[in-house]
Amino acid sequence: MSAAAHSHDHAHDHGHDHHELGFVNKYIFSTDHKVIGIQYAITGLLFLLFGFFLMMLMRWSIAYPGQPIPGFDVVSSIPGLGWVFNEMIGRWAPGGVVNGELYNMLGAMHGTIMVFLGIVPLGFAGFVNFVMPLQIGTIDMAFPKLNMWSYWLFFVSGVMMFASFFVGTGSVQTGWTMYSPLASTTSIAVTNVWMHGHTWWLLAMVFNISASLLGSVNVITTVINLRAKGMTWMRMPFFCWAMFIVSFLLLLAFPPLEVAALLQFSDRVFGSSFFLPTGLMEGGQHLDISGGGSPLLYQHLFWFLAHPEVYVLILPAFAILAEVIPANTRRPLWGYKAMVYGALTLGFLSFLVWAHHMYLTGMGTMMSTYFQITTVLISVPSVILLTGLMISLWGGSIRFTPQMLFASAFLPMFGIGGLTGLPLAFTFIDLALHDTYYVIGHFHYVVAPGTIFALFAGIYHWYPKATGRKMNEFLGKLHFWPSLLGMNMIFAPMFIQGMGGFHRRWYDGGKYFEQTSSASNWFTEFTSSFFSIFGMDVPNNLFGLNVMMSVGAFVLALGQVPFILNFFLSIKGGKEAGSDNPWNATTLEWAAPTPPPHGNFDFEPVVVRGPYEYSVPGMEQDFFPQWESEPGKRAEPSAAPVPAVTAHH
Amino acid sequence: MDIPYTVSARPDTGLYNAKVGVWLFLASEVMLFGGLFSAYIFLRVGADYPWPVHELNVTMGFINTLVLIGSSVTVLLAWASIKLRKFTAYKVYMAITIACALTFMVIKSFEYRSKFTHYSVTMTDGTILTGHLPHGFDIEFGEVNELTLTVAGKTASIDANPVSYVLPYIKGTAPSFKTEAGEDIQLDSTSFAKLADEARAKAREKQKAEGLKETPNWSIKLKAASPITFSVPPSKLLAKPALDAKSISFRDGTTVEGKIINDKMTIEVDGVDLRGTPEKEKSLAWNEHYLGSAWKNFFIHQRDEAIAEFSKKYDDGKGGLSRDPNKSATHQKEQFYLHIHSPKPESHEASNAAHGAEVHAPKEGHDAGHASHHPEVQLERKDVQFYSNFTPKLNSYYAIYFTLTGLHGLHVIAGALVLAYFLIFDGRRLRENPEHMANRIEVGGLFWHFVDLVWIFLFPLLYLL
Amino acid sequence: MADSPEEIYKSIKKIKVIGLMLAVFTILTVGLSYVELPTHSLNIIVGMILATIKAALVALIFMHLNHEKVLIYKFLAFTITFVLALFILFYASSTDPLVFDGF
Ligand code: HEM
Ligand SMILES: [Cu+2]
Repeated sequence: MSAAAHSHDHAHDHGHDHHELGFVNKYIFSTDHKVIGIQYAITGLLFLLFGFFLMMLMRWSIAYPGQPIPGFDVVSSIPGLGWVFNEMIGRWAPGGVVNGELYNMLGAMHGTIMVFLGIVPLGFAGFVNFVMPLQIGTIDMAFPKLNMWSYWLFFVSGVMMFASFFVGTGSVQTGWTMYSPLASTTSIAVTNVWMHGHTWWLLAMVFNISASLLGSVNVITTVINLRAKGMTWMRMPFFCWAMFIVSFLLLLAFPPLEVAALLQFSDRVFGSSFFLPTGLMEGGQHLDISGGGSPLLYQHLFWFLAHPEVYVLILPAFAILAEVIPANTRRPLWGYKAMVYGALTLGFLSFLVWAHHMYLTGMGTMMSTYFQITTVLISVPSVILLTGLMISLWGGSIRFTPQMLFASAFLPMFGIGGLTGLPLAFTFIDLALHDTYYVIGHFHYVVAPGTIFALFAGIYHWYPKATGRKMNEFLGKLHFWPSLLGMNMIFAPMFIQGMGGFHRRWYDGGKYFEQTSSASNWFTEFTSSFFSIFGMDVPNNLFGLNVMMSVGAFVLALGQVPFILNFFLSIKGGKEAGSDNPWNATTLEWAAPTPPPHGNFDFEPVVVRGPYEYSVPGMEQDFFPQWESEPGKRAEPSAAPVPAVTAHH
Repeated sequence: MDIPYTVSARPDTGLYNAKVGVWLFLASEVMLFGGLFSAYIFLRVGADYPWPVHELNVTMGFINTLVLIGSSVTVLLAWASIKLRKFTAYKVYMAITIACALTFMVIKSFEYRSKFTHYSVTMTDGTILTGHLPHGFDIEFGEVNELTLTVAGKTASIDANPVSYVLPYIKGTAPSFKTEAGEDIQLDSTSFAKLADEARAKAREKQKAEGLKETPNWSIKLKAASPITFSVPPSKLLAKPALDAKSISFRDGTTVEGKIINDKMTIEVDGVDLRGTPEKEKSLAWNEHYLGSAWKNFFIHQRDEAIAEFSKKYDDGKGGLSRDPNKSATHQKEQFYLHIHSPKPESHEASNAAHGAEVHAPKEGHDAGHASHHPEVQLERKDVQFYSNFTPKLNSYYAIYFTLTGLHGLHVIAGALVLAYFLIFDGRRLRENPEHMANRIEVGGLFWHFVDLVWIFLFPLLYLL
Repeated sequence: MADSPEEIYKSIKKIKVIGLMLAVFTILTVGLSYVELPTHSLNIIVGMILATIKAALVALIFMHLNHEKVLIYKFLAFTITFVLALFILFYASSTDPLVFDGF
C-alpha cells in the first residue's frame, strides 16, 4: 500500500480499514476517488444530454418560428414523462409553439447547464478524480471525505437547477450570464421569492461553487503532497499539470462569482441596489429602489470568473489529449516543458483579460486598450499548447482508434475557435461582432467540437481502466463521423450569420428582422441548392442557414445514439482489455490492477522516468513506462531519489 | 488505508495535508472578500450621495474589535497549551475563544436590530427625514365591495391565493362573501380550494369548446357582505398604487376596487438631512404641517453657526479660507444635517451648548418608549419618494454593510462551530494523539485569525472612514 | 515551528504583546478617524495604513507567515496579485483614466 508507509510514525484511530463496505458506502456515499470520479462523470454526461435537449428545442424555434414542436403532443400524452415534460416545458408553450419567454428559459438554462453542470463536472471533476491520483501513484485524494462532500454538494446544485423548471415562475430567463439590472428585476413581484426559478438558480450556483471549491482544494493538495516516490514535478504527466492549473482557476476565480450571485440575491430578495443605477425605470415607472449601484460591477464580478472559466473548460481537453495523442502516435509529447510553462502562463494571464467581454460597456479607452493587449497576449500560450499537440503527430505511426479520431478532429476545430477569437480581441472589430452569432460560433467551436470531442476521447481512452473492457471501435467511428459533420453544420454558418448582423438572442431566428437577414452569398446559395436535392425549400439568404444549423443539430443528435449504446453495452459486452495496460501507455494509471481496487496499487509505485517515453531509440518495445527501471521490471524504491527537505523558511 | 502526511509533514514540502488545504481555502476566502471589497470600492467611488461616516455605532464596533483580537490571542494560547500538554489550560482557552465569538455575535445582533427599526424617508425634493415609524406604514384602502381573484390556467407564480395574500390585510374581521353562484361562504383555505377547482374546470371547458391552445386564466368575483377596508403595506402589492388609485392589486393578483382612505406616513423625526436638497430653506420639511418654521429657524441658526466656526478654524489670515468648505464632508454635515432630540426646537442658547458635543450622526437604538422626544410628522404620500428602514434597501452603503458584516458573521459562526467541535467531541484525539490535535487547532486557528483579519479591515471601512 | 517548551513559552509572551499592540492600534485608528485631515482621502489612507499594519501583525505573527514554507508564499503571492488586479482594474474602469480628474 504504497506511500502509506511514511505516515506510520503516529498512531491513528482508523479502526475500519479492512472490512467490506456495504453498497451504499461503496457506490453512493463513497470516498473512493474512482467512484466519485465516475459519479461526477455520469452526472455530467446526463446534464450534457439534458442541455443538448434544451438546445434542440431552441434550434427548432429558430428555424421554424411559430410552428409547433414536432412530437409535442405525443410526448405530452405519455403518462408520467408527459407530465414532467408539461410542467417543465409544455406549460410555457401554448400548442407546442416555443415563445420568447420559453426560449429565454431554454437559452439561460442551456448555457448554465452545459458550462457548470456538464463540462466542468465531467471534464474536470470526473477525469481528475478518476485519473489523477492513479497517475501520480497515490492511494486516494488527500481529503477523501471532502471529496465525497464535493460531489454531493454538486449533486444538490444540479437537482436545484433542474427543479427550478418546475417552480411557479419557471426557470431563470436572463441568459447564462445573468446580467443585471435585467436579472435583478425581472418578475420580482411574486408572492413568494423563495419559489422563484431565479432564486433557485442563484442558490444552486452557491452550492456549485462550494463543491468546486472543495474539489479544487483537494486536487491541489493531492498533487502537492501525495505524489509517489520519484514523481518529481517535471515527471508529472501533462494531464496532472493541466488539472492542477484548472484547480487554481476554480479556487481563485470562483469566489468573485459567488459574490456576484450573493449580491444579485440581495438585490432580488432584500431589495438592495448593488447593480441597479439611480433612476432605473421599468414599464414607464420608477422602480421602488434606492439606486446608486452599477450594472458594470456585476459584469466585472461575473467575467472575473467567467473568463478563467473558459480555460477551465478548455484545459481539461488539453490534459486529456496530452495523454491520448502520445499513446496513439507512439511518439513523445512534443515540447512537454514548453506546454507546462505555456499552461502556467495561460492560467496566470487568464485572470487579467476578463473585460474583453465588456468592450461595449463604455469602460473607457485606457481600460479597453489594456484588456485588448492582455487578450492578444494570452493567445500566445494557447497557440503553444495547440502547436505542441499538433507537432506530436509528426512522424508518428498513428493508430486511429476512436479516441484518436476525436483527438485529431479536436486540433483543427479548436484552431478555428481560437482564431476566430482573435478578431474579437480588438475593440473596433468587437463593436460590430459583439452579441452576434459570430461570438456564439467562436466559443462553441472551442467548447463543442473542441472540449466535448476531447472528453469523448478521454472516455474511450480510460474506459478500459474503469471497466476492464474496451468500447466498440465500429460504434466509436459511427459516433465520430456524424458528430464531426453535425458540429460543423451547426457552428460554421454562425460566423456568416454573425457577420451579417444576427443577434445572438433572437428566439425566432430573426424572422422580424428581414432587412438584416435577406443578404445572400455563396454559402447561402450552397445551402439552398443543397437542401433542394432533398426537396426542401430553403430560402437563399441568411435565414436559410437556420435550417442548415437545425438539421445539423439533428444529425449531431443521431450521432450520439451509437455512443450511448456503446457506453452501456460495452460494460458487459465490450472486448476484454487483455491487460492492465491495453494501449501500451507509459503513465502510472496503467500500472494499477483493472479496475483499480480501493487503495489502487498492489505494489508501491516508484517513478524513474518522464511520462512520455515512447519509441525510445534502441529499445525493442515502443514504450517505456514510468514505473519500470528496465523493460518489464518494476523499479525498486531505492531507485528513486529521496525528496529534498526544504529549509524551514 | 491511511492517507499519507495527515500528521507529519511531507519532507520536500515541509507541510502536512491539512495545512496545505487550509491555506488554499484561505486563498479562496481572500478572493471572496477581495471581490466584496472591490464591490465596496466600486460602490463608494460611484456613490451619488454623501457616503455615511461614523454613522454606525462606533462603540459597539470598537468593543467587537477588541473581542475578536482577544479571541485570536486565546486560540493561540490554546494551541500552545496543547504543545505543552497542559490540557486543562487548553480547554479554558478554547472555551474563552468560543465565548468571545458568541459575544461578538450578540453585540452584532443588537446593532442589526437597531437598524431594522429605524427608518429613512426621502422626500420628492431630496430632503431626507430619519426616525421611527410607530405604526409602520400601511395604506388604508376602503369601500371595497368585491374581490376579483384570477386563477391562473398554467402553474404560475401569480395565482390567486387570497387566504395568504389578501385576508391578512383586512382591517377588523373578514366579512362573509357571496359567490357568483349566490352561495354565502366564509373565505378560508377549504372554501377557496373548492372555488379554484371549479374555476379551473370551467377554464378547461372553455379551452375545449373554443379549441384554445392553452388553458385560459379564470376570474372569480366575490361580493362582500359588508364593505371592507384594507390596511396593507405597499410592498405587499403588485405595483405601487397611484396617488388617487381606484383599485389595487395584491401580490397574488387579486384586484379590488375602492378608494384610498388614508395613506399618510407617521414618522417620529430624529434627523433631517438637507445635503441632497437643492434649496435648503425651501425644503418640504419646513412645511407648516410638517416640521414648520420653528425648526427651520433652528436649522438656519445651526448652519450659520457652523459656517462661522468653519471660517474661524480655517482662516488663512488673508481674508480667505485654507480649506474649501464644499469639499469638507464634515462641514457639509455640520451645516445641513439636523439632529432632533426634542419635540420642539430648544432655545438657541441651549442648543449652542449641546452643539459642540453633537457633531456626529445620531446614535441608533432609541426604542419606542422614548418616542415622545421627537416631533411626530404626518407625511403625505405625494411628498414621499422613497422610504426604507436601515437595511440593504436604503442605499448602497447599507447594502454593502449588511453583506460584508453578514458574511463575516457567518464566518464567525462557522469558525466557532468548528472550534466547539474540537473542544467538545475530540477529547479522545487530545489524549491519544495530542500532536494531531495540535495540528487541528493550528488549522482551525488559522481560519479564526483570518476572520479576525477581515474584521480589521471592515471596522475602519464601515464604521470610521 | 517553535516546538521546544522554552520556545513555546517565549512565543506565548510574544502573542500577548502583539495582542496588546493590536488593541493600541485599534484605539489609534478610532481616534484618528475623528481628526479632520486636509482631505478625507487622507483620512482614508491613514486609516487603511493602520489597518494594514494590524493585518500584517496578525498575518505575520498569529498566522506565522513570517516563518512559513515557500509553497505557501507562492500560493499567496498569486492570490494577492489577483486581488490587487480586482481592486485596481475595478477602480480604474469605474472612471476613464485618460480623462482622470482626481478623487
Ligand atoms: C484563443 C484565444 C481567445 C481569444 C482571443 C478569445 C477572445 C474572445 C473575446 C474577445 C470574446 C468576447 C466577444 C464578445 O462578447 O463580443 C470571447 C467570447 C467568448 N469566448 Fe473566447 N477567446 C479565446 C479563446 C477561447 C476559449 C479557449 C474559450 C473556451 C473554452 C472561449 C470561450 C468564449 C466564450 C464562452 C465567450 C462568450 C461568452 C458569452 O458572451 O456568452 N474563448 N472570446
Ligand atoms: Cu474571455
